[in-house]
Amino acid sequence: MGEEINIIEKAKIPSGATMFFGFPDAGLVGVIAASEMIEQLKLAEVAYMDSKFLPPVIVLHEGLPHSTIRIFGDEKILLAISDIPVPADLLYPMMHTLIEWGTNKHVKLMISLSGIPMQDRQDAKELKAFAAASTPEALKMAENKGVEILTDGYMVGPQAIMLQQCSQKGIPALAMLAQCYLNYPDPEAAAVVLQELEKVSGIKVSISKLLEKGEEIRLRARDVMKRTQQEMTNVKKGQEYDIPMYVS
Amino acid sequence: MLADKRKRSVIDIINEHIEEFEQWLNQFEETLTEKPSWSKKNSAIEPLKNIAVHPKEVTMTVDLPFTKENTLQVKPLDENTLEISASTKRKIRLNELGITHQEGEIQKFHCHARLPVPVQMDKMEIRFKKGILEIRLPRKHETRRRKQ
Repeated sequence: MGEEINIIEKAKIPSGATMFFGFPDAGLVGVIAASEMIEQLKLAEVAYMDSKFLPPVIVLHEGLPHSTIRIFGDEKILLAISDIPVPADLLYPMMHTLIEWGTNKHVKLMISLSGIPMQDRQDAKELKAFAAASTPEALKMAENKGVEILTDGYMVGPQAIMLQQCSQKGIPALAMLAQCYLNYPDPEAAAVVLQELEKVSGIKVSISKLLEKGEEIRLRARDVMKRTQQEMTNVKKGQEYDIPMYVS
Repeated sequence: MLADKRKRSVIDIINEHIEEFEQWLNQFEETLTEKPSWSKKNSAIEPLKNIAVHPKEVTMTVDLPFTKENTLQVKPLDENTLEISASTKRKIRLNELGITHQEGEIQKFHCHARLPVPVQMDKMEIRFKKGILEIRLPRKHETRRRKQ
């Protein structure tokens, strides 16, 4: 399937950029954070994914069609985002293709933005963000920059595939995860993950608009969240709540 | 007595399976029914909700962002159905939500929630925090068991 997923480039792709991923997952944290990055950093669409295995869906913007999986960027950043939940059976080949493509573009660091579901989230006074890494060096880098490390547990979804594949290839990668609602859009968690992102990447994204417009974002993201819930059930996302049993 | 205990536990197990199957069936029905989340006719949008069945109670959360808290209503319609409604802080035109092929507006959240197991509606507890409505309902069979 991997060979039948193509990335079509629309602009010159920079070499040595930092590559981010924001896919629909717990609380839509990755998508909300990535959308805010695109808007504030004025990133342009530089590439998109094309495959006969993608659902027959396009996104219309100003009357023109766009792929649901697109890559935005500038001279320092590449950011892959999906407007709709990625079908469970497409997650692995999609991430494989994106990582191969990023490697060919000599990406220096890959960072997946996402959430980690939290029980009784509405009672949380403060949300925490965590990082997990593909290599000991990347883990040390995140730790040295003051990011709390997710030491144990299960990870399910695109970020799990990214870490595993980058680990195999020795590519530095981080999964940045903020505590969030599992099944409801969580702009507050997206703000937390963006704050932590600044520590490891130096990329500053203001979170004030995200917090101010949080309720409207939740309303607008309602339908994407509902469809994401179905895909999260398919990949057994609830496993992230499980008590881990690591055999060493 | 031991036989009674065994008999009851087998019934309990079967009941649990039936409950799980009903939950699955509800989710399956929702998956099959591809309908819009909003109604132009009622100027309403259906909120996201989640129901969890615990040994002693049923808890339900409903995502109600951008609502006026003093308009929130939770009404039992019958012994296993709740009606939930709340007005939005202002009228939201459909084009503000990216729906450009129809005119209309959203003024409220509205949904019916069918509870998968018998509950004591008169002991319902609700709270609203950060735009999330939380409803807690004690299960009926637990009361019966305690009385035995």
